Amino acid sequence: MSADVELSDVSVTFGSFYAAKNVNVKVNGGEFFSFLGPSGCGKTTLLRAISGFQEPSEGKVLIDNKDMSGIGPNKRPTALIFQNLALFPLMSVSENIAFSLEVRGVSKEERKKRADELLELIALEGQGDKKVHQLSGGQKQRVAIARALAVEPKVLLLDEPLSALDLKLRQRMRTELREIQKRVNITFIYITHDQGEALTMSDRIAVMNEGELEQIGKCDEVYNNPLTPFVATFVGENNPLYGKVTGIDGDKAQIETADGQYLAMMNESKKLNIGDESIAFVRPESLFIPRDGDNFDNKINVNIESFEFEGNLKNFYARLQSGAKIKFSVPNAIDTSTISSGSSIALGFDSSKSVILPKASLAID
Amino acid sequence: MRPSYFINFMMGIYIFIFFAYLFGPLIIMSITAFNSAEFPSITPWECFSFRWFNEGKIAYDGQHLAGLLTDWRLHDGIISSLIIGAGVVTLSVPIGMAAAIVLTQVRSQLRDIFYSISIMPVLFPGVIIGISTVVLWDRLAGLGGEGFISDIGRNGIFLTILAQTCFISTYCFLIFVARLQRFDQTQEEAALDLGASQTQVFFKILVPYLSPAIASAAVIAFLFSFENYNTTVFSILSDQTLTTVIASKVRLGISPALSALALTIIALTIIAAATYEVLRRRAEKRYKDTQEKFVKEKAADNRINKNYKIGFKVPRGIVTILILVVFTIYGATQILKNDLYGQSCIDAADTEKKSKFYDQLNALDAIELSEEELSGGELGGNQDYGDIFGDPSLFQDFGGFD
Amino acid sequence: MNNFLFTQPFFKKNGKAVAIYFLVAIIFWFVFLVIIPQFYMLDLSFRTNVPPLARGGPEDYYTFEHYSHFIFGSKTATDAFNFVDLGVFGRTIFVSMLVTIANLLFCYPIAFYIAKIANPSTARLLIVSLIIPFWINELLRSFALRILFANEGVINNFLTGIGILDQGILFITYDIGLYTGLIYAYILLMMFPLYNAIESLDINQIEAAKDLGSSSFRTHWRIVIPHAQPGIVSGCTMVFMLTVGALATPVVLSSPNTLWFPQLIYQWFNMNDNWSRGSAYSIILLIVSVIFVLTMMRIFKVRIGEIIK
Repeated sequence: MSADVELSDVSVTFGSFYAAKNVNVKVNGGEFFSFLGPSGCGKTTLLRAISGFQEPSEGKVLIDNKDMSGIGPNKRPTALIFQNLALFPLMSVSENIAFSLEVRGVSKEERKKRADELLELIALEGQGDKKVHQLSGGQKQRVAIARALAVEPKVLLLDEPLSALDLKLRQRMRTELREIQKRVNITFIYITHDQGEALTMSDRIAVMNEGELEQIGKCDEVYNNPLTPFVATFVGENNPLYGKVTGIDGDKAQIETADGQYLAMMNESKKLNIGDESIAFVRPESLFIPRDGDNFDNKINVNIESFEFEGNLKNFYARLQSGAKIKFSVPNAIDTSTISSGSSIALGFDSSKSVILPKASLAID
Repeated sequence: MRPSYFINFMMGIYIFIFFAYLFGPLIIMSITAFNSAEFPSITPWECFSFRWFNEGKIAYDGQHLAGLLTDWRLHDGIISSLIIGAGVVTLSVPIGMAAAIVLTQVRSQLRDIFYSISIMPVLFPGVIIGISTVVLWDRLAGLGGEGFISDIGRNGIFLTILAQTCFISTYCFLIFVARLQRFDQTQEEAALDLGASQTQVFFKILVPYLSPAIASAAVIAFLFSFENYNTTVFSILSDQTLTTVIASKVRLGISPALSALALTIIALTIIAAATYEVLRRRAEKRYKDTQEKFVKEKAADNRINKNYKIGFKVPRGIVTILILVVFTIYGATQILKNDLYGQSCIDAADTEKKSKFYDQLNALDAIELSEEELSGGELGGNQDYGDIFGDPSLFQDFGGFD
Repeated sequence: MNNFLFTQPFFKKNGKAVAIYFLVAIIFWFVFLVIIPQFYMLDLSFRTNVPPLARGGPEDYYTFEHYSHFIFGSKTATDAFNFVDLGVFGRTIFVSMLVTIANLLFCYPIAFYIAKIANPSTARLLIVSLIIPFWINELLRSFALRILFANEGVINNFLTGIGILDQGILFITYDIGLYTGLIYAYILLMMFPLYNAIESLDINQIEAAKDLGSSSFRTHWRIVIPHAQPGIVSGCTMVFMLTVGALATPVVLSSPNTLWFPQLIYQWFNMNDNWSRGSAYSIILLIVSVIFVLTMMRIFKVRIGEIIK
């Protein structure tokens, strides 16, 4: 049922502009794979290249090891779910779902049977005769999925289909999508700019920026071991500490910043040398207010500026002596009544929870 | 998407044919305006001349074919068309505006009926509006005896203004409705809240907001009035407007003076369109960096071919201009080489035709004589002449005798 | 009355002066320009044709003679039916329908191309090019075709000149010129509703259909055309109504021995001075128009507001 999708050196250009540049990625059959990146990073272009609406300027799209060049979208084993869903407003729900069967000349009874099966799959039994505009946002979403599944595609492509929904519904649909994917067991390729969506649903994600792939990996891998400063700041939040490498000890490096020296983990593929301009990243939740018995190998002095209550977390915004901003989060359960705006405190973080990367221009500050 | 080059190619050819169908007749007509021959044609080409724009010509058979400058009927027609146009604008714009504003105020149950009545006149065939106005006013004039009512009831220009206002008000109405749909009612409320009277609100808020619509409604009303034939031909009675003059000329026979008239109108239209486009672009420039860009991107997104290199492309302006230049040069050299321009050429052609004409006249005399003998002096009608010359338009009135 | 007709008290809402202006303008338009003339014409169509001085006299009475003349012909005629007038009438309606269909077929590909395929600047150029010919008087446009199609016209001269034909084709006599001219005359009124309707279709709909395996033809049939239906109905209605009521184009282009129905009305009116009969024939034309609009509205379930925008 499911198929591998491989992009081999795919570039898409519009005039002199590279919407995607030398993208190499292999999506395994049955995988839930996400492309994550800010808007305009080229992820939609890649999806269109896989679905066949856009021929790559260079490189090849392979589905099940078969070269797809020259094969139109209606002849590929893929189905696309559009950002705005593109349900046909003048047809009923069943007609929408069975449209792909109708164009293949499937008989009316067969079509109805299949539509009913799919309606059951998406938990909309008996609503096939409704018009599209009578459905709620989440129901439309599911109809769009059913319509795409009716083709029995080997790969389902989803172009930010949840972006139009409100927060609650979006969270529910994440689980539902994941469940549907498990049930039908086909390859899902999902496009989003929302890292929460990508992290919760995907088996693996690919982070993209300005048409290029920054990193591919499992969710926790990408989150914990970002390969580039862009990934470090785009996926989740991160505090950058700028400085120079002053010492290397095994897989750790020492960085000297305006505010002191810190120790952080080096990435195997991003080895550093002494004297390199680099950045250490530490996440807000990895910064702790030391209590008795804690022993962090990095210490950092900050001035608290403001405070924000998020429910499960309390966020503090502070400044280092050099003026650099820093954010840290504390679980709600921990008492922080002693910390007030303007007070100076010392924070600690573990070198194993911090990564150091060579300096490159940051896309997101 | 992979384009099918064959389909794109066929589409290109189709678009070309379609636009050739739209423009071809107009272009050919424009060219015939410069041929000095009495019958509008390209082949045979007699002489290149501007006579049809100027004085016309005295034909070899003594008929006067009026040119644009010397055709008094045309001039009278244009003057009454202008008067009627002005009258229609002054009536239909206020009517359309009133109806559109009131449409926003009537209850929702009544709105459909009100709207239906308002747009009904454009669904009536134009001839019917003309006829109904005439029959009604003829009756009113008859009832009124001698006097004012009787005078205006039999005045073609007055009746035409009324008849045209009947349906042109609908076009104005539709323009105002479109503009009012985007009107923010809270503006009015804010003005009232600040102490303005209802009348002040109308003149200070609503009318300024509607002013672009007033301008376009006025232009549209004038153009529709100026171009109208179906209604006017009934309601104008014994007067003449530009369109009825054209119609009567066409019916009597086709003359290159009409080509010249059409070309003049085409030229004015293109100048107006170009001016409008320039003004529009200037206005657009002000927004360009903000809104316009966004809108254009949206428009581009909503098209199949995002990659513009694919697919049929209409030749850029430069190609069109090049082709035009080549044709113009070719035509001009042909005309110059064969000495087909200027007074001498026209004189030569006339002399030749005149001599031909006299030959034919002589021949005709001979025939008529013999006919006279045979049928006891009865002369054949005009039709016989037409048959003999093989050109029925020869004896027909092109522009009236001066 | 105020509360019955309007959402807010009319005079209070608009101020007295403006309210009076509104009322006068609307009543003048609806009553004096639209309703009374039509009803008077209807009345006249049922009266005998008498000279103005005899009106109200004994010879001026109500009669069906004008309508019966249309169907059965004059009382002295030998034919059972008025084949001439009925023929003109039938032909006018039939040809108008064909013209409408031809317009639809010609315009659809162009409208789709401009709305969905051409890049925005080309589309703009094409739209402007479409509009320009239609600012030129219908009579003069027909005249341009007349120059082409006349017996000694440009086409015949060209064809005989290069030796394809020995003798010109009688385009005018066979009404080829008229049909071409009628298609030419109102093609823009088909193009714009169609273009607007197709333009508003989300491109994702087309792509979704394609992605689901639909062929181009089927995508048009199932997605684009149903979406464009209001535009199609609007264009067809406008073109049909204008074609049936056309006078300018037939005056210039019809052959001397065939008539278009409005020409027949014109004849009764201006040449035979029989205003009553002219009115009766006008009413017949009006009825056809109204029936056509109502049928289109009923079949395609569109409201009148969607037809005319």
